[in-house]
Amino acid sequence: MASAPSKLYADDVSLVVVLLDTNPFFWSSSSLSFSQFLSHVLAFLNAILTLNQLNQVVVIATGYNSCDYVFDSSSDLNRSFENGRMPVMCSSLLQKLEEFLIKDEQLSKEEPEGKIKSSLFSGSLSMALCYIQRVFRSGALHPHPRILCLQGSPDGPEQYVAIMNAIFSAQRSSVPIDSCYLGSQNSAFLQQASYITGGVHHKPQNLDGLFQYLMTIFATDLHSRSFIHLPKPVGVDFRASCFCHKNTIDMGYICSVCLSIFCKHHKKCSTCGSVFGQAQSEAASASDKKRKTPET
Amino acid sequence: MPQVKIIAKNFMDMVASLPAIKLDLLYRNQFICEAILRSLPPLAKKYVLQMLYIDIPITSKSLQEWLLADGSSKHKVAIDRLIQLRVFEVIDRKKETTYKLNSTFQTNLRKHMISGGILPREPMPQSVTARLPTSEELDAYAHEQWECFLLQLISSGQAEKSTSFSDSMMRIFQRGLLRQRDKEAPRLTDSGFQFLLMDTNAQLWYIIREYISNSEEQGVDQADLIAFLLELSFHTPGEAYSLDTLTDDQTTMIKDLADLGLVKLQKGRKESWFIPTKLATNLSVSLTDSSSRKQGFVVVETNFRMYAYSSSKLHCEILRLFARVEYQLPNLIVGAITKESLYNAFENGITAEQIVTFLQQNAHPRVAEKLPSVPENVTDQIRLWETDLNRVEMTPAHFYDEFPSRDVFEAASDFARMHNGLLWEDAKKMRMVVKAEIHMLMREHLRGQNK
Repeated sequence: MASAPSKLYADDVSLVVVLLDTNPFFWSSSSLSFSQFLSHVLAFLNAILTLNQLNQVVVIATGYNSCDYVFDSSSDLNRSFENGRMPVMCSSLLQKLEEFLIKDEQLSKEEPEGKIKSSLFSGSLSMALCYIQRVFRSGALHPHPRILCLQGSPDGPEQYVAIMNAIFSAQRSSVPIDSCYLGSQNSAFLQQASYITGGVHHKPQNLDGLFQYLMTIFATDLHSRSFIHLPKPVGVDFRASCFCHKNTIDMGYICSVCLSIFCKHHKKCSTCGSVFGQAQSEAASASDKKRKTPET
Repeated sequence: MPQVKIIAKNFMDMVASLPAIKLDLLYRNQFICEAILRSLPPLAKKYVLQMLYIDIPITSKSLQEWLLADGSSKHKVAIDRLIQLRVFEVIDRKKETTYKLNSTFQTNLRKHMISGGILPREPMPQSVTARLPTSEELDAYAHEQWECFLLQLISSGQAEKSTSFSDSMMRIFQRGLLRQRDKEAPRLTDSGFQFLLMDTNAQLWYIIREYISNSEEQGVDQADLIAFLLELSFHTPGEAYSLDTLTDDQTTMIKDLADLGLVKLQKGRKESWFIPTKLATNLSVSLTDSSSRKQGFVVVETNFRMYAYSSSKLHCEILRLFARVEYQLPNLIVGAITKESLYNAFENGITAEQIVTFLQQNAHPRVAEKLPSVPENVTDQIRLWETDLNRVEMTPAHFYDEFPSRDVFEAASDFARMHNGLLWEDAKKMRMVVKAEIHMLMREHLRGQNK
């Protein structure tokens, strides 16, 4: 659904939905401690709210087992600023974050060893998109929305389908997804998300200066992005993961009806139910073989 | 020197025109830093944020490197604005200019970012204030006060109660808006009409600007007033703040602001307090952000009929400016936009653009979501009728006829052409029209020719 034109607002009114990675497995092994990270982020959120009276900020925490809204600057509770905006925001956000982390931990079940400890990124991305859809439908006057992902956990291939669906729906609603990767490897999902939706992806080299990276790159409102140099995508990893085992693959089988990807030959497509032809030889059967290589 | 002319159209321009020492004093207040940051163009805001934690000066060349090619004009505007407001300090080294953030501004903004701002006063506890007006009541109160003030301003005799502004104050506000000839009732001038058609924020700024420029004569310091107004805009609307927390000057100001509808004064048993309204909190928003979500009320149809769902006298007066009001019902004003009514408006100095903008900004919510909110045939016709009046251009001139001979005629026409005054000539019948400015020169030339 296309967004209604927000012509009555000045160009730089923005709604920033921040997806905060709270995966305990990642933070326990990260060089930047979670509390330092939070202090950078809180100052950044305050800066966004200072820039314009009408700016809004929503924070969604991405946990290991669940996701939840942690802060919404437009809710009534957060609007009275007798003691100043920053203390009110900090106390409410930190309190909700603590409650969320306790709940998240309780949901943990026994996991098999060797599983990649990824956070529930697809869940929080979908929640962000739902919130933004609600803003779009609230009337002609609304701020320009964008999503900022602060992720450090590695990608979980089992979330590939859900994340790609979310990315494509963000692309259709013209919502840019910015991503800031805090981990040590590269995240293919984040790179693809920013590339496809027209956002900015960056991996800060020095995590101590995270606040300055956030201010310089990610605080740019959508209007000014056409005038300022921002990090360009370099070498996005476009590899997909198969639908049956969720492994990342380079070459595989694709259903010609619904384009689902499989790593092994199947008799029937599990997504659309179309039966693959058996008459010809196994090698060049009705399902195409498509070569998928990472683009340079 | 800044290359942008200062047109004090809004508050920030007035702040920018204060002398440097006063501006530095103002920047000690965290809220003023925030208000100034908010008023900057978006690119300027980015620059301030990026340079917030950089202590060494940055060369203007490195600033240019942050930009893409499209942005150079916006960049210039942003830099000029920053220098004007003295947020950027220019340090001219021998090779190139460098910029640095104003240090008072920088320290205070840093503090504001990290620890948030604390207002100098807290709202009063519920126990003392008992029942506070709801936000709708407050909005209605503000609206009513403002309308009453405007009606009194244009002295339309329809105001139900008069405000407590002294006559001299009202005259100062009316200066430029009304013109009074002897023995006649005061009439609105061109700028008066344009004032009425502006939206509330712009009108508010005009009045406050006049008020502040006048305050120097009353003995109140301009910078203090501006600081107080900006602080007021950060209070929470609907919360009560005690009057004891204000200085004497601020107390006098508050009474005037209550008349304008910016605050509501209330008295309890022992204490009295003021409640800021939405008009006050919108003060720090710049003119381009018309976040006044007030409901529009005008529906314009393709047959040029106009229905305004309003019972306000002010709206009726404004609509009478350019439309023919036919019926007035308790909640509805029915009218039509006709050629005569528009010609009337154009004669009074209103432009078609203003009328169209007014209709678009005040469109009823039912039509506001459609594009266009005012039918195109109506807006086109309004503009066409305006150009009708501009079809004929008049220049004072003189007509020359009956030249004795062709040579004299040609000499005269060359002479006129040399002085850039020839408007029309007919070589066959030897007639010409010459601009009035060079009429005297032509006469002397022709007399010289005769001899």
